[in-house]
Amino acid sequence: MARIKNPSHRQVTFSKRRLGLFKKASEICTLCGVEAVIIVFSPGQKIFSFGHPDVESLVDRFLSRNPCPQTPSSSNNSLNNKLKGVQQAGSCIRELNSQLTQILDLLDAEKSRGEVLDNMRRSCTQQSQWWWEAPIDKLGLHELEVLSASMEDLKKNIANQAIYLERNNSASSSILGMDINGGVGVSQHFDLKSIEAKVQGFCQQLPLPVDNFHAQKFF
Amino acid sequence: MTRKKVKLAFITNDSARKATYKKRKRGLLKKMDELTTLCDVKACAILYTPYEARPVVWPGPSGAREVIASFKRLPEMEKVKKMVSQEEFLRQRVAKAHEQLKRQQKENREKEMAHVMYQCLSGKGLQSMSLLDLSDLGWFGECQGHGVNPALWSNAFFP
Repeated sequence: MARIKNPSHRQVTFSKRRLGLFKKASEICTLCGVEAVIIVFSPGQKIFSFGHPDVESLVDRFLSRNPCPQTPSSSNNSLNNKLKGVQQAGSCIRELNSQLTQILDLLDAEKSRGEVLDNMRRSCTQQSQWWWEAPIDKLGLHELEVLSASMEDLKKNIANQAIYLERNNSASSSILGMDINGGVGVSQHFDLKSIEAKVQGFCQQLPLPVDNFHAQKFF
Repeated sequence: MTRKKVKLAFITNDSARKATYKKRKRGLLKKMDELTTLCDVKACAILYTPYEARPVVWPGPSGAREVIASFKRLPEMEKVKKMVSQEEFLRQRVAKAHEQLKRQQKENREKEMAHVMYQCLSGKGLQSMSLLDLSDLGWFGECQGHGVNPALWSNAFFP
């Protein structure tokens, strides 16, 4: 273990480790009922400090028992005020900790889902079922036109299906496991007109005559 | 290394709490040592605990005094800029995690839509999709379509 030579590596390491250190300090304070203060200087001489209940009061408390010759310790008044603040902060911290745990769990779940989706896509492309997955600039002209026509058809099908669903007043939840209230849709507001507009807009963007390339294969 | 996830709350069992304290204190001080060595910086840590009569001081009383003296010498603004209490620190963490979550959800939604779109293109129907899915699929398809059209044009002229 030695000083990191590269200055930017050193700075990056500092940022990451400092955050990790504060995280560990926060945890030991919560889990074990400890009061802690950490003061760190960055490679760029910036100062970072973490304190529970707060930096100043703990520093002064330490100094009053271990006085530095040059620095005076602050008055008792400020110490008492800060201690009062501690009791109020107590329940806040409990709440924040549980909020944090919740969000981190959700994040974990989403990351796993992401991996599942990646694996699905990887296995499908490996089986060469999806030739269109190749980067779009590698596709040949014919392939692009077929793809374009298929997408146009798909757009129409989407609109038709939407109309059908609307008419039948279906309130079914998504097959993809995201319900309307909890899910984060890429477009949050659904209305039929917007779908129709999108279909029209998309079709208008297809300048080439695609009638010759009938995507029989797909529909 | 850890067998199960630890709940972020005060450990009520006395002996478990003391055991955790010992481990975590050791770990924390080790991290202090690593940080200061790797990054060649000055730092100190002071812990007031119910388990020890005297505060735990790292690197030691004189080292800590030195760091604190430099700390005190700074103008108030510099001191306070990156100073956090546990509460503030947790708020920052919650906010950051929230941002990461939103980003990941959006990314996943897009991957889902790509998957479904390609499934539709290979012949599977739209019957089982809800309105929300269809709306997102329509939006997603439009974005992809933008990629197809420039490619079509450039391919037509530069085959």
